[in-house]
Parts: sequence; C-alpha cells; structure tokens
Amino acid sequence: MADQNKTESANNFYNEILSPCELFAARSRSHKLPARGQKDFYPDDSEEQRQRLQQSLDEHWRLISEERVERLGNLVKGVWIPSERIVELQSPAGKFWQTMGFSAEGKQYLLPEEALYLMECGNLLVSHQDLPLSIQDGYEMFLSADAVSLQQYQVFGHLKRLGYVVHRFDPSSEPSSYARQLNLPPSRERGGRQLKRKRSPSPTPTCSKGESPAEKMEEDDKLPESHLPTSAEPPEPQSCSSGSAAEAGARTWWMTDVPDRQADKRPSPGSPSARSRWNFSAIPFPDLGSTGRPRSVAPPHPSLLPGGVTVGVCDVASWMRKVNLREVRMSRKEEERERRRRRRDVNKDREVQRCRNWAEYHELLARRQAAREGRPAHLWSGEVTPLHDPTQPISTAELLEKISVITSTNLLEGASRLKGSEEWRICFNVYQPDSVADFKKSNPGKPYTRMCVCSFDGPVPDLRAIKQLAFQSGDVLVVFAVVDHGDISFYTFKDFQLPRDVYP
Amino acid sequence: MEAPPCRQLGELQPEQERSSSPVVGLSLCDSAPLLWRIQDLKAVRSSGLVGALLGALPRTPRQNIRLGRPLLLLPEEERLLRERHSAAALPARNQDAVGTELQQRYEEEEQRSYEEQSILALEDRRSALLRAMTSSSGSESGVGSDEALQGRLLALGQSFTFPRSALAVQLSTARAGLSHCQEARAFLQVDWPIREQDSPRREARYQVFRDLRGRGFFLTSAGKFGGDFLVYPGDPLRFHAHFIAVCLTLDESICMLDVLCVARLGSNVKKTVLLCSPAPDGPVHYTSLQWSGMV
Repeated sequence: MADQNKTESANNFYNEILSPCELFAARSRSHKLPARGQKDFYPDDSEEQRQRLQQSLDEHWRLISEERVERLGNLVKGVWIPSERIVELQSPAGKFWQTMGFSAEGKQYLLPEEALYLMECGNLLVSHQDLPLSIQDGYEMFLSADAVSLQQYQVFGHLKRLGYVVHRFDPSSEPSSYARQLNLPPSRERGGRQLKRKRSPSPTPTCSKGESPAEKMEEDDKLPESHLPTSAEPPEPQSCSSGSAAEAGARTWWMTDVPDRQADKRPSPGSPSARSRWNFSAIPFPDLGSTGRPRSVAPPHPSLLPGGVTVGVCDVASWMRKVNLREVRMSRKEEERERRRRRRDVNKDREVQRCRNWAEYHELLARRQAAREGRPAHLWSGEVTPLHDPTQPISTAELLEKISVITSTNLLEGASRLKGSEEWRICFNVYQPDSVADFKKSNPGKPYTRMCVCSFDGPVPDLRAIKQLAFQSGDVLVVFAVVDHGDISFYTFKDFQLPRDVYP
Repeated sequence: MEAPPCRQLGELQPEQERSSSPVVGLSLCDSAPLLWRIQDLKAVRSSGLVGALLGALPRTPRQNIRLGRPLLLLPEEERLLRERHSAAALPARNQDAVGTELQQRYEEEEQRSYEEQSILALEDRRSALLRAMTSSSGSESGVGSDEALQGRLLALGQSFTFPRSALAVQLSTARAGLSHCQEARAFLQVDWPIREQDSPRREARYQVFRDLRGRGFFLTSAGKFGGDFLVYPGDPLRFHAHFIAVCLTLDESICMLDVLCVARLGSNVKKTVLLCSPAPDGPVHYTSLQWSGMV
C-alpha cells in the first residue's frame, strides 16, 4: 500500500501523488507549451546533439509527468453508474452542458466518452464507490469494445479538442427519406408548429428504448398533416365568396374533386380525399406577342388577387417595347428552300429530266420519299440497325445517353436495397464549432458530417459499405476517420458530376 | 478474478531470469496495451521504443499537437518487450478490496491536505501583506509602523478563512494511490491474451522491427504514409524520419502499380522507401527505392 512517508517526499521518483505543498504550489504553474526547435538531420555522436537531445527529453518528461491539479470548487462532481454505463452529475454542470450530456428524471447525466473527455480536461471529478477515479480508471472502465471503443474515443477526443460538437449517431432518430422529402422551406413554418417537434429529454442509448419509436410515430403523424394545412389555404377564397353562387360558376380555374362540395364548407385538414388543383387552361393569360398587339390588358379576376387590392387596366406599352417582336430571319438555306418551293416546276428538275420512263420516275419519287422520311432502306433492312431512328423525336440528352459507353451513376443508386452490416457503422454526428453559441441539444439541426471510425489494420471500405453508409446518412457527408496508433487521418468520398454540355 | 496479492519485487527475482532493463507494467484497455506510469514510459523510451501518446496533455488539454499519457505500444513493441521479459500486465482496478477502510483513508488524506494547504495559504497571504507594507512604507521604519504591521498581521490571522472550495486536489492520471498495489506484478507470459492471429504479414513486420531496432533505429507507425514503419536514425524528438519501411514476405508478389504508388509517395514526402523482407534463415533483406527520373 502507498506508504505515508512516500506521499510526503516531494522528489519521490516512483510516486505520482502530489503532496499538499506541491498541490498548493501548482496554482502558479505556467500554462504555455514550450516551442519545439529545429530538428537535426543525422546523429553524429557530438556532445552538442546529445545535450540537445537530453534537453528535449527532459522537457518532454516534464510536460508528460505534470499532473492535473484543480480547485475543488471548479470541479463538477459525478458518479459512475456501471449498470447503465453513464455518469450521473452530483453538482450542477458547467459551461459544457450546452453541448454535452442529457437530463432524465430531473438529473443530469453524461455519456462515458463525454465524461472521460471532461476528466482529461480537468473539469470533472468522477467517483466510484466513494473513491475518485483516475484517468486510467476512466479509460479502463468507460471504454470497451461493445460501447465506445478506444479508437472511437480517440476520434471523439481529437474532434472535441478542436472544438467540434460531437454526438453519438442514433440511426433510429434520423428522419426517413419520406420525412426528408416533406421538408418544407422555413418560410412556411412561421405560422405552424409542425416540423419543430417538441422533444422530450433526449432518449439515452440504454434506457427507455420505448420512447424513441413513440417519438418517431409522433413525428410521422405530424408530418402528413403538415402539408395539408398549407394546401388548405387556397380553398379559403372558395369559402370567402361562398355566398354568390353565380361567381362559383365563373371561376373555373380552381377545381375541387369533392363530389358533395358545398361552397361554405372548408375541407378538413385531416381528410386526404379533398384534392384541389388549379386548372390553368381556364385562366386567360394575355398574349403580348400576337400580331393583335393589345395596348392594354384587362385586370385579373378579384378572387385571384390578395384581399383589398384593386387594380385597374394595365398599360403594357412599356412592356411591349421590351418584348422582342422582330421578325425571324431565315438562314440562307431556308430562304433557298422557300424560293425553290415557290417556283418549282417539275419539268425543270434535273433529276426528273434524267428519268427515261415512268418506272424510273416512280423510283425517284420513292427515293425522295425515303430520304424525306430519313430512313435509308439499306441501313434498316439488315440485322444490325442504327441505334436510333431519326424520324423519332428524341432530346439531345437522351441521344447522348444512348450512344454513351459509360453510364454515370450516383452513389445512392441501389443503396436502399442494401442491408446494414455490422462491420461498418456511423459512430458520431459532428457539428461545427462556430454553431456552439446557439446550439440546442434538443434540436441540433443537420450535422456538418458524420464519422465512421476504422483503422489501417482493417479492410478498406468497399463500394457496398460506402453506399450503405451514404444512404444511412442521407444528405450529410460521411467521413472515415482512420486511426493509426495515435494518428488520425480523415477520408471522405464526394459525389462528383462530370460536366455536360447538354441539359435535359 | 481476484487480484494477486502484493509482493515485493525482490521475492520475484529468483523466479525469473534477470533482465537488464526494468520491468514495465502494461494495462489493457479495450485489448490495447497502454502504459500509464511515468517510470514505465521512461524505461520504454530508454530501450528505444517510442510508442504513441493518446491522451490530453494536462497543461493544455484542448489541443492536438502535443498529447499526454497514456502511451500506446505497437504490437511489435509489445511483443519485443514480452520476449525480453521486460513487460508484465498490471492488475485491473481492485473492485472487491475497496471497502470503507480505503474511503476513510482517502477522506483523512483530504482533510490533512486541507489543513496543510490552509496553513500554506495563510503564510502566503502574510508574506504578501508584509511585502506590500514594507514596500509602501519605504525608508520610514520605526516602532510605529512595526506596531501597525503586527496589528495587521494579527487581524489577518484572525479573519483569514480557507474555503473548502479553494482546496487544490489532484486528478491522477495513472492509477496510483490508495487503490493501487504498486509492487504487484503478474507475469502472464504463458497466458498473455493473444489478440490477433499470427499471419505471415505480422510475422514479417515483427522480424523487420526487431532487426531495425537492433541496428539502433527508432520506429513508429506509418499508416498515413502508406507503409508499415517510419524509420528514424535517432530519437524522433530530435531527428526526422529517413525511411518508410514496407514489410513483405519473400514469396509475396506485389504488382508494379503498388510499387510505383509507394515510390511516388516517398518522393513526395522526401523519404526513401524501404522494401523489407525477412529471409527464413535469419537476415532481413532491404531494398531501397529512389525516384531518379528519366536518365
């Protein structure tokens, strides 16, 4: 057991416990890192080099052996709960609470990797069985292959030290692709409360597994409703002018398919059967390019205007000046063709003059017909036919697709059919450091990237793994953090599109 | 599993061969060998093994340039220590033996520390007051100022309080202290957990590591350089790496593209690439690649 005498001696080489005197003196320690000088190229057994090496080593050991000393009042106290694998805070949390930890049942908790990081920063003192845990205890007790592994913690710590906000990735709490599709632009949310779902305290990974499916159902219930209230707004003009039945007949551009539609009854938001749509063919749009050249345009029907706005007749003279009404000039070929068509005399046609009999003339006509149709017979009669029939209309983009040898694909093609694998999974959501000021744990928003931790000893992710992870992540980039005994390298795959000259 | 009883180091020595290097205590965390105690880190460095520091540096924990303890060993380094009998596994935290006795001792220690620190704090304030008063009074020194000084000091002694929240406590890095059995070493040579299967690649890596270490080079991991090891002519604190070692077995064939890849990489970072292959009869063959361009 640790000898009493040993704790007293300040210069004991083998003991890392500081005496009270040393603890007190630690207040005036420097907080700066010494700068490292230039390195030498090759060892030449000189005294100078040996001295410099000794200096570097001494400084290195001085830094490494320094122990963490903190004022008791600055430390947040916590207790490790092995059964739940979380740390329960026993004194109020500090500034870190803004981005780390969660509350449940009125108490504050920290995840093991967050607690270990705070212990390393010297902000938290965790006890277990009434004794304080050392950093070594923390590493050995909090990190394990089934919860957070050492490699994952290395990546976590690295990112946190750079200032990022790092949370565990929970695949079940990610919105499904359907929910993502319904993501309405923020301007529409002002009136509504739909998409900002009211989150109860974030579910911990271990306890209350029943909460997250319930929350997810709640979100899904809200979302189908969310687009209907917004589409319920247009029927309002319908109900406004409910009194005049004559007007209801005149406005043919807004149609509802509800068979028993009453003019003063609003379709309820919950019923999906009310499908209203615009009938654009019934709305008269003025044609400013026609040769009639109207000088003015009649005002639109008052029901199409926002309430209280009356407009008079619109003078379009200024607009007409901006419309390009020049006559189209034909190219020379087209002009020639026009000229030829006007004064074509079949007898003057040289090819016709070359025909010696009616059979030849019929042949000539057939040839011309075929040429006009664009299908030379000799090409289409054999086994191998051209890729595309010129008489069929096709857009340039589709034509290029037809003749292309390599078809481009995007990363998510076919990804939804892939089943998840145990080997590759996303570990963390990473949020940017500058968002810390207004970061809300209950609504963190879209992460900056997602991390997948692997090592150089393991296999390189194959296309299947990359697709599956990209699909799981949605529209957030997945970064592979490759851990190599202390060094971490970050790799990511970005979707890239070769530039095309033709747009469909 | 019960922790082995504490024994003095002297008792163990007749049981195993004496090695010239001190024995180092390893702790396993998620099946990775970590070193926590300063004496172990120094011992390992003095035998030429560098390892990699993983933790936050206590002085400046929020940066990634210089990291602190623990030190992670390469599998080759761990194996080397094991073969030299200079490493042993330290027992895990003693869950069973932690009883009320240890907690009491901890509380007593804290109380003692508090009392000592209060005294030190009072002394500190007194000397600060003395300095302030003597500097302000200047050359004027007489009985009157002495009396005033004594009066001030007395008042300070009576009114001074050292709040509990100002107590400086240590957050230990290594598991040292009351719950640590300092001298216990369990020599687990036979049942050392075999964590990865011995593949020919790993065996080749180890042979190359041992050979280069024997020649006096320092080696670290080189995953981000596309090789197996970075080879330094001396301590990495003072020298840059000269080589990137890529370990292959003699009967393994690599395609030309891979060789080109690694050669290009090496020339970009100004290091020579070493293709290393241990021969079955002992010596390791080295081939260096140098990108010389068109002749």
